[in-house]
Amino acid sequence: MARLRWQSDVVDPLAEFDRLREEINDLFDLPRVPNVRGLFDRPVSPAIDVTEDGEQYAVICDVPGLAREDIELSLAQGVLTIKGEKKAPKRAGGARLYREETWQGKFQRTVALPSDVDPTKVTADLRDGVLTVALPKREEAKPKQIAIQAN
Amino acid sequence: MSDRQTAMKETRRQVRPLSSMAEESGQILLRLEMPGVAKDGIELTVEGNELRIRGRRAAVAPATRYVLRERMDGDFYEVYTLDETVDRNRIEAAMDSGVLSVTLHLREAEKPRKIQITSR
Repeated sequence: MARLRWQSDVVDPLAEFDRLREEINDLFDLPRVPNVRGLFDRPVSPAIDVTEDGEQYAVICDVPGLAREDIELSLAQGVLTIKGEKKAPKRAGGARLYREETWQGKFQRTVALPSDVDPTKVTADLRDGVLTVALPKREEAKPKQIAIQAN
Repeated sequence: MSDRQTAMKETRRQVRPLSSMAEESGQILLRLEMPGVAKDGIELTVEGNELRIRGRRAAVAPATRYVLRERMDGDFYEVYTLDETVDRNRIEAAMDSGVLSVTLHLREAEKPRKIQITSR
């Protein structure tokens, strides 16, 4: 972050060190992004996208072949957990399997969202094997236009 | 037009769906995972020796701001080469929750025909 500085003919070495220290501090000031790796997440799990706009966050998860009762969705302290089981397709006993690229079994993904999510307004929709969770931001967190008063 | 040329005409990215293939009781069962594709987004055609499967779904809005992106945008496309044991007139397909199940029926192999040798 650049600071407004007075121009000076004399180079002040101490000021330069101060500036360097500030810039290094800023470098480690990471932006507020959701933490998307939970402790109990399974290694094989569905792909998710997390998007953001002024009004809400959206978490989109690919869950082909799953029905509503196969998925458990919960939100606690700003952490969204998507849990469930993707069952193996039914096959006859004497079936010969030539190729299997799909995965099956229990899965869990967690997404830690910034605290500006309003938990009472969260909605979820499951359609064509895609789960979309809409998490509206709290009113205070939405970007607002600041009117400039003319004097 | 070759298959590759046909696929290249598409301006949207083409993605291979995850699939499984099994054989049981004279049938081949294909399962293709195409999340986000509705039943009317599926195009199944047999041309010559090829079974072409295309699954169309809505594109992502270009202005979308991603915080995390793992899913691929694009339509699904897969081609299978059929041999003469597949009965082209009996291909069944069903779409449910983003999974396309295709059943191919196999003809019984022709029994070997004996040829008589006439002697002189």
